[in-house]
Amino acid sequence: MQMRRRDFLIFGSLLGAATCLEAKESSSFAKAFGSVEPTIRAVQEHMFPENGMLPSAVSMQATRFLFETMQHKSFDRDIRKFVIEGAKELALREHGKFPCLPAEEKERALRAYEETPQGGRWLSRIMILSMEALFSDPIYGSNIDEAGWKALHTEGGQPRPSTRYIAL
Amino acid sequence: MRKEVYDVVIVGSGASGGAVAYTLCKAGYRVAVLEKGRFIRREEFSKDELAYVRRDIITPSLFDEYHTIEERVDGKWVATPTYESGWSFWNGNIVGGSSNLMSGMFHRMHPDDFRLKSKYGAIAGANIVDWPISYEEMEPYYALAETLIGISGKVQKHPFEPPRSTPDFPQPPTRENIVSKWFDKRCKTLGITSLVTPRAILSENREDRHACYYSNFCGSYGCGSGAKGSSREALLKPALATGNLTLMSNTHVKFLHAPEKKRVAYAVAVNTLTGQEKKIYGTIFVLAAQAHESARLLLNSANRYHPDGLANSSKELGKNLVFSGGGAGQGELHRESLGEKEFASLMQRGLFVNRSVLDWYFIDHWWDGRFKGGLVEFMFEHQNIISRALKCTEEEGKLAWGDALGEKVTNYFTQAKSIRFEIFTDWLPNDNCFVSLDETHKDKYGMPVGKLRLQAHPQDVRVGRYIAQKCEKILEEMGAKNIYSAISSDPPQNLIAGGCRFGNDPKTSVLNRYCQAHDVPNLFVADASFMPTGGSVPYSWTIYANALRVADHIVQLLGKR
Repeated sequence: MQMRRRDFLIFGSLLGAATCLEAKESSSFAKAFGSVEPTIRAVQEHMFPENGMLPSAVSMQATRFLFETMQHKSFDRDIRKFVIEGAKELALREHGKFPCLPAEEKERALRAYEETPQGGRWLSRIMILSMEALFSDPIYGSNIDEAGWKALHTEGGQPRPSTRYIAL
Repeated sequence: MRKEVYDVVIVGSGASGGAVAYTLCKAGYRVAVLEKGRFIRREEFSKDELAYVRRDIITPSLFDEYHTIEERVDGKWVATPTYESGWSFWNGNIVGGSSNLMSGMFHRMHPDDFRLKSKYGAIAGANIVDWPISYEEMEPYYALAETLIGISGKVQKHPFEPPRSTPDFPQPPTRENIVSKWFDKRCKTLGITSLVTPRAILSENREDRHACYYSNFCGSYGCGSGAKGSSREALLKPALATGNLTLMSNTHVKFLHAPEKKRVAYAVAVNTLTGQEKKIYGTIFVLAAQAHESARLLLNSANRYHPDGLANSSKELGKNLVFSGGGAGQGELHRESLGEKEFASLMQRGLFVNRSVLDWYFIDHWWDGRFKGGLVEFMFEHQNIISRALKCTEEEGKLAWGDALGEKVTNYFTQAKSIRFEIFTDWLPNDNCFVSLDETHKDKYGMPVGKLRLQAHPQDVRVGRYIAQKCEKILEEMGAKNIYSAISSDPPQNLIAGGCRFGNDPKTSVLNRYCQAHDVPNLFVADASFMPTGGSVPYSWTIYANALRVADHIVQLLGKR
């Protein structure tokens, strides 16, 4: 039996950046997120580009979804920190220039990052959060006009939610 | 202020708590049900995948309340808190419990499940015992549950189908996808008997509950029509209508207080919203908090009369925890193989597969040997959109994104549909599967958390693999592609029983044949804790039936009103 340890959620190389990782209040999380948002946005846009078979990250406001869902109290606080740390690590690796790189360079940078154990896990996490954006009920602010569902010729079940997170 | 003393105080509002509350309230007794979760009304349930499936909304945050899980690593037992592993052992902490979220595939246990040791003898390393009651004693309550809950189905002859006292189910089966016919045909070719699965889902309107509307999202979600036979819909609502039930949601019981050796006087509960504590007094106490949590509550109720935990003179409390053994597998039916017309029928949303196979419940084969097997359920892969899309994110060991991802996901959703099978076998009780109290970890209420040691008996995996091979052959015969199965010794955390065995000997069991504590006569445990062995079917119907049986006994004890 394999336990899924949280150890993999720790970026050892970033222990010095711990100030933002203690983000307990939503305002401090918002601040921490703000510093890495361009990197995360650029990664999501690379994964879900314009004119693909799936709706683009831009058109689905996937980064805003990612921020809002991570800010909600039901979101795992370890993963919240992990997402911030992983984005910082990528930014560091690419000398803060990742969002400005051309597509081929972004591809190279992400594939190289994927080769590292933590980088691979971080990219998987961004993929999960982006998929949640594209295919959650539109009430969460993404999957706009059900574009994600329509791309897959599917739809959500009835009744649809009238509040986010069962009004928790 | 005069303290209120309820006739019966029930801890937990799931299948067993609801069944006891229903019976007692109908018999005229004043009942309090204490439920740690909140009340979600039928109208409030939606098919919100993000909220119900992907976040801890209807279960506690693992940072607040958790378990520690002991597993053997390099020959040593290592405990890991579930807030570290993310492996939650909470199930549907809302009024009605996990019965709100079940898929409702209902099967009775077989008469031989009540006498497994007599039938198959001892197995080395397994603590198998016969039940102190027989199927004949449980049968009237299976029949009663069938009516109360509203089980739809069709009686079919099969040598391993348990006998029944009524000619047929109260309602006809729910509607089926065309794939069920293909399944029947292929099974016939292979000499396998396919059976219509009984479902705790109404196929027709009944009183204020409406028939299934085939939402396409059943298991893991509350039902929007009341068709699903949850404790909340089928039992607690009619119990509330009697005026005898006080339903206290957001009420978590920390421990029971026994001021003398043979009597519980009150439960100490905390309001989960305000943090305020209160005592809830009763004449009789019934635990229905799910197996591992009922045992933990009794262990946390230790006092000078019960130093090893309440009702634990046998030292058996928490021991012999069992799960449902087995595993699952699936295969894909592809558009290009089926043709457009048939594929369009297959893709019709919402209708069920509703097929089960009992042929391998008991194995007696000249080559394979004689051993206890299990039940198999066939169904569509769960239709959750995010979960299915996430199955497509890997290609040759790397993440797929961009065009590659788009093509993969759209193909998965539009060019194929997956049929899944789930195998249910006995989880053999053994010395290394139990719940105790963690020595250091406490929950947010300051109570020691449950420590679960989880080890399966090697026989469980062998049986699972044996049956999985046969299931894969059915899928092959149906023309499925990409067939696989995953049989492991990992326990399914939503199918948990044991920990408070019932039996006739107070030295070797916690409860008597009526699930009354040997040591404390006004204490009962009505959930699946009582089961010495779990049978090879999902527990739900047996939990409902047994709780109704226990409730009848409590009515007799209290005297009819």
